[in-house]
Amino acid sequence: MNASLTRIGAIVVKEFKHLIRDPRILLAVLVTPIMQLLLFAYAISFDVRDLSTVVVDQDQTPASRTYLQSYTSSGFFKVVGSVDSVDAIDAVFQSSRARVAVVVPAGFQEAVDRGDKAQVAVYVDGGDPNSARIGQGYAVALNQVAGQKITATWAARQGLDLSQAGRLDVRVRTWYNPDRSSSIFLIPGLVVVIIMIVTVQQTAVTLVRERALGTQEQMTISPLRKVELMVGKLLPWTILAFVDVVLITLMGLTMFEVPLRGSVLVLAVSAALFIFASLGLGLIVSAISPTLETANLIAMMLAFLPAFLLSGFAFPLDSIPLPLQWLSYLFPARHMVDISRAVFLKGAGFAEVSGPLGMLAVYAVVVLALATVLYGKRAR
Amino acid sequence: MSEALTGSPVNPDAAVSVRGLRKVFGKFAAVDGIDFDVRRGEVFGFLGPNGSGKTTTIRMLTSSITPTSGTISVLGEDAVKHPDRAKLRLGYMSQKFSLFEDLTVDENLRFYGGVYDLTAEQFAERRAYVLRMAGLEGRESELTRNLSVGWRQRLALGTATLHSPEIVFLDEPTSGVDPTARRRFWDLLYDLASNGVTLFVTTHYMDEAANCSRLAFMYRGRIIADGPPREIRESLLTERILDVSTGDADRSLTWLESADGVHEAYLSGASVHAVVEAGLSPETLTARLVAAGFADARVVPVDPTLEDVFVNLVSQQRGA
Repeated sequence: MNASLTRIGAIVVKEFKHLIRDPRILLAVLVTPIMQLLLFAYAISFDVRDLSTVVVDQDQTPASRTYLQSYTSSGFFKVVGSVDSVDAIDAVFQSSRARVAVVVPAGFQEAVDRGDKAQVAVYVDGGDPNSARIGQGYAVALNQVAGQKITATWAARQGLDLSQAGRLDVRVRTWYNPDRSSSIFLIPGLVVVIIMIVTVQQTAVTLVRERALGTQEQMTISPLRKVELMVGKLLPWTILAFVDVVLITLMGLTMFEVPLRGSVLVLAVSAALFIFASLGLGLIVSAISPTLETANLIAMMLAFLPAFLLSGFAFPLDSIPLPLQWLSYLFPARHMVDISRAVFLKGAGFAEVSGPLGMLAVYAVVVLALATVLYGKRAR
Repeated sequence: MSEALTGSPVNPDAAVSVRGLRKVFGKFAAVDGIDFDVRRGEVFGFLGPNGSGKTTTIRMLTSSITPTSGTISVLGEDAVKHPDRAKLRLGYMSQKFSLFEDLTVDENLRFYGGVYDLTAEQFAERRAYVLRMAGLEGRESELTRNLSVGWRQRLALGTATLHSPEIVFLDEPTSGVDPTARRRFWDLLYDLASNGVTLFVTTHYMDEAANCSRLAFMYRGRIIADGPPREIRESLLTERILDVSTGDADRSLTWLESADGVHEAYLSGASVHAVVEAGLSPETLTARLVAAGFADARVVPVDPTLEDVFVNLVSQQRGA
């Protein structure tokens, strides 16, 4: 046991020395996440304010004017003008003068007076799905706040840009973010994405590199056991991944005022499970890759794409095709994004995140077991 | 010799004892049933052209791959059933440079010191020895990458012997090293051998083979000859080797290949070596060559080198 620890220690020391000798890797692991964080938080904003809006007031009554006034004063919509008919909206959308059109049909005042449900129509330019969805959300919220008995009839109208093929299925989505700031929404997810990329990519590459150098063979002949080699190789990356978690969380808390409403313990336990799962993925990649290039490529496919597209960190998973939604369950990122967001924003405890946490635990066990088997086969 | 071993049990007193060893990759038998013993303290040369199965054999002996069939005893331990038992007592140096190039000399040594779980005193003593042996004293903090090939080779040998193994397997340790460095490297190997360390060396340099106390020739997965270098050379006694130089080596080679009494002809340096029956004298062959139009033909008898023996053995195998 003691000898075993000495051997693992020797590998950990060696791995850190490799890191010191090649600052590029250290840079990639510690500085890139910060860059990504700043990039995502500042440059990519899903915030929507001052949505350009035209109004079509076919009722021309005090009630309709009051209702439309609420759009002007909300801050979310910027009323840029009015048109006479529903048909004219097309031209407005085509020229990008506005992305939203609110139509108050004739008879609005009468309906309100009678106590019936009054109807309005909101048209949204589907060419920019993100704005469209958010604009829609705002309108719903607005109507509720206004407290009026109004049924909104929705029509998401395809922008006439021909490259936008297919009709978008736009749904109403409630934003768990009262200030509607996208960095608060993004950062808890970004933590996950960055860990995934760091761990999967680096583990995959570090083990394949060892094999390519011929140093692995030397170690196979030594008393070093495969498990010791694996643990020794993975430990430094586990530590670095945790450093990344802490770094990004701290930056999120201080610079972007992301709230951490839940407990640090829940976050730490989930992160540990998630890191193990990702390390396992990296190990599998290294076991099946013949060369460094292959390992890099597979790790990229396995870490980057699913982390970005299938984790729900930026793009809501319920808006992607069903097969892809199923696929997303195959990657640990989506579960961790769920947990991270729940803990950060909703203050969730172990009970609330038990579902995704359980998934992560199962995932970690399965992946690490599979990796050990594959890796064992490979080394023989 | 190998015939005598076939079917007998492994010899646990030998440093290495192998019986009926086979390794099949798909349909290709890289090692096709070999038997040999390496005595303790011996410098055992394992020879053969590239792809003849030398490295596969070494990898089975060091338990980094498992044989398809056969038994292996290394230092009295069953290397197939208990691959871990002999690990602390054997060393290995591969044809690839297996040190970490981005670590310093000292860091490389320290890593293997940890892997072999040496105590602080053991490590200090062995480290000093290796540095002295490799001539790297005062260069401990230099990156291995910056060392020339000869130095690296010696350092690799040093790390392979850091844990004072009883046997060291060396897989083409001198490939890509200049002759001077090769000579120095062999001096180190003799030092080790004089301290009782058994050495198992693969090489395709025939001049190095002469340095070994015993040799085995490997060809297409089989051992086609083994014994001390002198014995192997003498196995050619029924034939003699003549060195033939003419103005046109290629043309004389063609002529010799179909000449009466010539068993084998091949290029050797600028001239042609002919393996001829013992009764064919150099004078007779010269006369026949002149008659065939090689006016300036010169034929001198040469002692068979190991290369001659090897070429001869391989051609016998091909003929068989």
